[in-house]
Amino acid sequence: MFDILIPSLVDGLLLGFVYGIAAMGLSLIWGVMNVINLAHGPIIALGMFGIYLAFTILGLNPYLALVLVAFAGLVLGILIYYVAVNRVIDAPHLSSLLATFSVNMIIIGIGTAIFTVSPYNVDFTLGAVDIGPIRLLWTRVAAALAAVIVTGLLYLFLFRTRTGKNIRAVANNRTAAELMGIPSSRVLALSFGIGTMLAAIAGGLIATFFPFTILAGGGYELRSFVIVVLGGLGNPLGALVGGLILGSLEGIIPVFMQTSWVPVIEFVLFVFIILVRPSGLLGSRV
Amino acid sequence: MTALEIKNLESGYGEVQILWGVDLNLEEGRLTSLVGTNGAGKTTLLRTVMGTLKPWGGSVRLNGKDVSNLPAHRKPDLGLVMVPEGRQLFTSMSVEENLEMGATNARARLKLDDNLERVYELFPRLKERRDQQSGTLSGGEQQMLAVARGLMADPSVIMFDELSLGLAPVLVLNLFQTLRQLKGEGLTMLLVEQNVHMALSVSDYAYVLSEGRVSLEGPAHEVASTESVQKAYLGI
Repeated sequence: MFDILIPSLVDGLLLGFVYGIAAMGLSLIWGVMNVINLAHGPIIALGMFGIYLAFTILGLNPYLALVLVAFAGLVLGILIYYVAVNRVIDAPHLSSLLATFSVNMIIIGIGTAIFTVSPYNVDFTLGAVDIGPIRLLWTRVAAALAAVIVTGLLYLFLFRTRTGKNIRAVANNRTAAELMGIPSSRVLALSFGIGTMLAAIAGGLIATFFPFTILAGGGYELRSFVIVVLGGLGNPLGALVGGLILGSLEGIIPVFMQTSWVPVIEFVLFVFIILVRPSGLLGSRV
Repeated sequence: MTALEIKNLESGYGEVQILWGVDLNLEEGRLTSLVGTNGAGKTTLLRTVMGTLKPWGGSVRLNGKDVSNLPAHRKPDLGLVMVPEGRQLFTSMSVEENLEMGATNARARLKLDDNLERVYELFPRLKERRDQQSGTLSGGEQQMLAVARGLMADPSVIMFDELSLGLAPVLVLNLFQTLRQLKGEGLTMLLVEQNVHMALSVSDYAYVLSEGRVSLEGPAHEVASTESVQKAYLGI
């Protein structure tokens, strides 16, 4: 029993770090501008394909390519903000939901035209190490490590740099920030970019150990929703904790029942948290 | 010299016009107050001057430069700063972070350390609480922080919207004393107040705004002794 449970739990936990990064992107965008980014999933998928292209065509090391993918994710997000989100930022939530949903459809449409919906795979391995009954895949350990580093950098950025503090100020009180001379549109665009960057990084990390299609982001987007509700919408560290919780659930549940029960239990938990503790386990806001 | 010159300013929300051609001048180094009842258009005037609201007509000149159509976030760079009604602090950030955010424009950033020391001298209480989350301060401390944050922008003209609202009289007195001190340092100030008696007693010059128009102006003590003002605002 334990020799199945423990390895499965460790696997899930390592994956949970990456889920956390994905959710952090969604959470940051909501926390700063109250926009739910429905293009989150496709951007995760673009991160996967970014790594695929850089690795297969350019022959780059996936972790080196991750830096490029992160940068591309940042630029793409800023672009999406100015094209689709900026003009509906003060409109009711439904407008920004529809705007980001449109972006979602556009990315999936173009992605399907280029890549079709057949699965792709990044043929890359770092090997594994056995510790007792636990078999650690180095790609997963590296992904978890990358997730921790990214979280640390995000916090340093938000709390120690002027630009990061501008983001927190705009998130906290946009009118006051404008009055203090902070150009809020630019700050919002950057925040959106950082949110999509996190999504792209998560996608890129997942691509190093799972096969994927252009539609693969959808599942991770849904998990991100569960995670941000667990951790508290708008709270980046909460997203990481939520990711770990969800990851361990995904490790534990399949040991006791069919894997198809996993999303059922996840979303029951989702509804339960919304009913019982709507601000999340760690409370909300940056 | 006129630091801020407002000419024939018109503005409003949607279809509703609030300001009907307001003329108002802030002379350099002077403390001017703008009084009027709730709904007279005082806050609308400030918002339009700052650029949070777009003017429908008229002009705003800052030190001779037309700034009528500049967005709000460009104003502190030019020396115009507003301390908004209800403080509008960054409640989830620390006291010192709020002050740091006040010093966003390039000029203020260069003087950040000097100005920080200056506002801590003006409000020693804020120094004691520098690492505290600003949302947890008392009402009086929050208002001090709002004023201090405005000063951090290193303004040449600063406008206060309803500084005294919701504060105990002794705190209001203290704040107004601070304003006097700032006037001594040559700062040009506009005090927008419903607390007419207090405002008039501390200012040099005053405007009375009613229904979106300036109905009376003059040296503050003269305005205070006008019969209509005594009747309408001072309850005499």
